[in-house]
Amino acid sequence: MASFIDALTYSALLGLMGFGLTLIRRTTGVWNVAHGEVVTIGSYVALTATSFLAHSPYFYLPLAFLVCAGVSGIIFLAGVEPIRAKGASSILLLVVTIAISLIMIAVINIYADYLQNVFHLSSKNFLFARFDFTLLGQMGILWAAWAALAALTISYYLVLQHTRLGLALRALAEQPTLAVVMGANVKSLSLLSWCLAGGAAGLAGCLFPMRFQCHPGVGTSMIATMFAVSIFGGIEKMYGPLLAGLVLGFAQIYGIDLLSSWVGPGVIPFKDLIPMIVLLLTLQFLPEGLSGFVGRRRG
Amino acid sequence: MSGQWFLFSVDLLALFGIYLALNLSLRLQLGYTGIANFGLVLAFTGGAYVGGWLPIRLGMWLVEVDPSLADDMIWNNVIIASQVDLSLHGSPGTAMTILLITLLAAGAAGALLGLQSGYPAVRLGGDYLAISLLAFGEVLAIIGNNYDPVVGGPLGVRIPDVWAWAGDWRFMAASLANCALALGVWLYLDSIEKSPMGRMLRAIRDNPDAASSLGKNVARVRLNVMVTGGIICGLAGAMYTLYTTGVAPSALSRFDWTFLPWVMVVFGGSGSNVGVLIGTFTFILVQKLIISYKFALSFLPFDPVWLQFLLMGLVLILVLNFRPSGLVTEKASYALSRREMAKAAGKESL
Repeated sequence: MASFIDALTYSALLGLMGFGLTLIRRTTGVWNVAHGEVVTIGSYVALTATSFLAHSPYFYLPLAFLVCAGVSGIIFLAGVEPIRAKGASSILLLVVTIAISLIMIAVINIYADYLQNVFHLSSKNFLFARFDFTLLGQMGILWAAWAALAALTISYYLVLQHTRLGLALRALAEQPTLAVVMGANVKSLSLLSWCLAGGAAGLAGCLFPMRFQCHPGVGTSMIATMFAVSIFGGIEKMYGPLLAGLVLGFAQIYGIDLLSSWVGPGVIPFKDLIPMIVLLLTLQFLPEGLSGFVGRRRG
Repeated sequence: MSGQWFLFSVDLLALFGIYLALNLSLRLQLGYTGIANFGLVLAFTGGAYVGGWLPIRLGMWLVEVDPSLADDMIWNNVIIASQVDLSLHGSPGTAMTILLITLLAAGAAGALLGLQSGYPAVRLGGDYLAISLLAFGEVLAIIGNNYDPVVGGPLGVRIPDVWAWAGDWRFMAASLANCALALGVWLYLDSIEKSPMGRMLRAIRDNPDAASSLGKNVARVRLNVMVTGGIICGLAGAMYTLYTTGVAPSALSRFDWTFLPWVMVVFGGSGSNVGVLIGTFTFILVQKLIISYKFALSFLPFDPVWLQFLLMGLVLILVLNFRPSGLVTEKASYALSRREMAKAAGKESL
């Protein structure tokens, strides 16, 4: 049962991380390698706030959302947009996000070193489990993570389907050139997408240490899994990361737990191979991802 | 030159040789064929694992070592490697045999990994290809860290020193061998520069549809290039392990063996061997200087090694903004020399 609950929690967090990656790719055509570091910044916002201002990390979810939305917006405006405006290819834009990722790895580690050396905080390995509450017999992180993911996915869906802004965002995702011709402000819409994606990553980062160990490289080490969530979920629909997060989260935690009870505990360390295998199979047999497949079946 | 500077220079040369070979392999894939291989670390790690696994077993087979030690090769690896080293001191022939067999196996492993990662990925376009290769690059790190029989798990293994016979010149011999590998790759790329194959690769890079319409099997050519690139990466990985006489999966990170080569190649320019050489030398020098003078910056409230990441990221952003083709740009490559073209045109000169 414990691993089932862990799998549910992990699934929601993966879904939140993949949500941002998918949103950025869908609206601006960029695979953001620095997205992992934005998640890490969310964790460090929570660490800093809880260490210096007390209160539970849940209290700082809005702060993490805002800070990471701001960071993501700055990445777009200062790093990606100037090069995109020159007509750079998708590969070149990917390299730009790698460069930003390197800068952010440095900044996060310098900050973690600073917290440790100057304030003697345990900033290289931390867990907030002691702050968690219990609701209906389950840890608060389970409810909080799913609530955040559901709120983001549903509100984004409603905005997309029922507002003029949503119409413009859809136009940007499906026909960027036509969207420009029809008067959509591509730069503002792209910035909005990046900020929203950063905010989602910030929520994931703030919630992650409530259940899982956190360190300066946590987002960096999970970026391949985030890509797997995004590609497996499919970039056509924004509920893709939710579906893919569920499948991958369960496979990585609950599935491997079941497998270890059959073949022995030796398989547990290899759970990180699952997203790679899923990615490989997706690219071969389901290139449109889960959401694309579901949409095709319905259509 | 003082001893400290001599060691600095020799180590610089060794790393330069390894990175130059790796970066030229990226030039072959990215610069010639347009394959954005963000999984360089995969074949490099494969070669490094072969370099960590095979020499100690070959050493046990070729020289006299207490056979009972073979019961646990991982636990006893330091003792076995030390015993093999003693024999290799006076036996350059045996050492070179181990080296050559290891390189052959590492090249084969690199080819296999290039094929394995390239086969599903090569039909994908642009950024999807890049992302899938980035993800595949993690696979061997996960296996190496968690499956001890490969290279001892996270702690790694020590391996016999195939350069032990060179005595005090051991580091110089190993460094020169690394540079010889880079030179070989350089000459190979140089040979295809003006060849029909080079032109075909550039045609596929610039317009795969047009190349395909002219009868070129784009997917197959890309796969061949990825296999060739894998061989080079595998050889570089094995040479690195043989130089350091040890391998640990944690030392084979995505940053060091994928992102750093990308920074070097983008900085120097993927369209020219000279550009790749300049990019490689610049960043290896900066990296070595930061590590060497790390203690002079101990007053900082953080580890100065992070400055290297900061610097690389900033340089990369600046290059991409102001000179996206790198310091040295690609020159037009002609099928015939100017004299031959003039002759074909029936003129004295062009």
